[in-house]
Amino acid sequence: MSSSQKKSQLICKALVLLAGIFLFVCVPLVPTAHAIPYFARKYETSCSTCHNNFPELNDFGIVFKKNGFKFPKDEETYVKQPPTLLGAPAQKQVFPKVIYPGELPSTIPISFRYSGFLTYNSKQPLSMGFQPRTDLFTPNTFTVIGAGTFGESLSFWIDDDISVGGSGANGGLGDGYLRVNDLGRYIGLPKQTLNLRFGQFELDLPFSQARTINPTDYDVYDQSAVAGKLGTTNNPLMLGAPQRGFELGGYADNWNFTWSVAAVNGSNDAPATRNFKDVYVRVSQQFNLDRNPAVRKDVQASGATGLHDHTSIRLGGFYYYGRNALNTDQTQFSGFGTIHEPFYRVGGDLRFKCGDKFELYGLLMYGRDQNLIPDPNTGFLLHGSPVTFTGGFAEAEYWVYPWLIGIMRYDAVNSPTDFLNGEISRFNTRNRFSPGLQVLVRGNVKALFEYQRSWEKPAGADNLFFRPNSFLAGIDFVF
Amino acid sequence: MKLSKLAFWGIALTLMFFAVGAMAGEIKGTVAAQGIRSPEGIIVYVDTIAGKTFAPPKESAVMDQKKLMFMPHILPVLKGTTVDFLNSDSVGHNVYWPSVGGDRKKAHNLGTWPQGVKKSFTFEDIGAVPLLCNVHPEMSAYIFVAPTSYFAVTDAHGEYTIKDVPPGKYTLKTWSEQGKPTEQPVEVSGAQTTANLTVHR
Repeated sequence: MSSSQKKSQLICKALVLLAGIFLFVCVPLVPTAHAIPYFARKYETSCSTCHNNFPELNDFGIVFKKNGFKFPKDEETYVKQPPTLLGAPAQKQVFPKVIYPGELPSTIPISFRYSGFLTYNSKQPLSMGFQPRTDLFTPNTFTVIGAGTFGESLSFWIDDDISVGGSGANGGLGDGYLRVNDLGRYIGLPKQTLNLRFGQFELDLPFSQARTINPTDYDVYDQSAVAGKLGTTNNPLMLGAPQRGFELGGYADNWNFTWSVAAVNGSNDAPATRNFKDVYVRVSQQFNLDRNPAVRKDVQASGATGLHDHTSIRLGGFYYYGRNALNTDQTQFSGFGTIHEPFYRVGGDLRFKCGDKFELYGLLMYGRDQNLIPDPNTGFLLHGSPVTFTGGFAEAEYWVYPWLIGIMRYDAVNSPTDFLNGEISRFNTRNRFSPGLQVLVRGNVKALFEYQRSWEKPAGADNLFFRPNSFLAGIDFVF
Repeated sequence: MKLSKLAFWGIALTLMFFAVGAMAGEIKGTVAAQGIRSPEGIIVYVDTIAGKTFAPPKESAVMDQKKLMFMPHILPVLKGTTVDFLNSDSVGHNVYWPSVGGDRKKAHNLGTWPQGVKKSFTFEDIGAVPLLCNVHPEMSAYIFVAPTSYFAVTDAHGEYTIKDVPPGKYTLKTWSEQGKPTEQPVEVSGAQTTANLTVHR
């Protein structure tokens, strides 16, 4: 081991020790949190009713979300802040002579979230430019979240990063959508079989990027398709980015079967740049493994010492199809019209949960973009090598205590095009190991630690490569 | 003659019974709260009386779970009383207590049960029983297991009345969720005895 590596390890150990001292000092000093996010206020219940490690949801929280942010049964009996009526319920009988009566949340349905991290980076070669070894509280983000219901049939969610530091500093709207619940009841379908949401939203991904517990993204969700010097493909779509469009979806089999079909712009959280609308489809099935058949059907499993998440396996698959458009203004390739490059993303996912203690999940994905190269001599489009990639991640979480969670994550993306373009990684495959620890100091306050052992990337000089490892430590709290 | 003797003793016993009843008094008073949010919900009780035991009631006391709350929040019972724990919610609940009277060896978990079903437990140990739900950590209540049947709970003004206390010298004690226990001697000699106490944080 080189002296610089020994030094890095020593500094990492010192930082972990500092983090421990920080916790030892701060845990008793953090005042009891009386301010709680909106749903906790609405029902006067703790965060842990729905979350096992916010923002990750437990089984009850998942059903609460699937049911349009309402309790699965007898919602009205649990609401401690009765809504403001926009019309008496009896007015439904008078409709359409009146505006259909609705409801407003009686208090403004807003919560806030702040997360901020300090980072410690490995020493970067000077050929890559100067980067400070440490950065105190970058990235940091302040988010406003508004969510709730307008009566039984309508639910909404809006979140906006209104103050962002560090990478991704543009911030802006994350999800902003309205959902019409239970459309299927008009055609005799069971409850929540058919819902409609429209606006800007994260696709019905197997594992949320927007509401992940990890301080860093899943790499494969950020992968876009760019041919670079190898062709024309320049598809900005990132599966993990919010998309604009509408989605039909629903649930069956006691909330264990999920389906969704979405039509979206495909330009991430930006206005449309082409006419074609992409399609995303997902299905998943959860198998609860409890011995008692009655318990398998319940929202949560009951045990000798109380309720807990089911021990379960969930399997799913997804498919995304779109047609990227180039030369739409016909100036990039003179003499050619709009060039349509079909593409797709396809993948499968698995999640295993062992009650409230352990979770193991992962996703594998393949992406393919057609790469059409205009030939000015012939006037035809030649088929270049398609831009493809495979990738995925696997993550394990273990609850040592309900407030202490150990995490191990592995990300990998194999992109021959990225490698051949020579800017991102030393090899075809970029992989990253990210062990982490999260400590729920309170139900709404969390301390996070993550170390990233990154892939090697070119370091600005021939045959020089650098592994940009980093260590993050920070806080995340909501109110 | 025999009949008249029987009648005499019957009347005498009846008169004695009512005399004793008439002699039993009540302890009334006010509990002042210092440093705690409210004087409401403080248990005032007569401590163990040497040589005297009390038969627990045949009827069970009830602790319900409704709208994500235990109801009532404070439930005093006599030692040996059976408490029926109900679940009136359509969500799952759990009931457990980490100790009885501070003794963690007496911790117990009743498990979970669905809406409409009840589980019962007989409390044989004296002291406060903090009830919790491990699904909804904000839920809590207290059962206080008293050594005698002479107890009461203060109202919003801190006032209490303990009825049917026979004449004698006793130790009056308090228990409250937020305050420290207090005690003071009290002597019941007439129809009504006043005892005011102060509970400190």
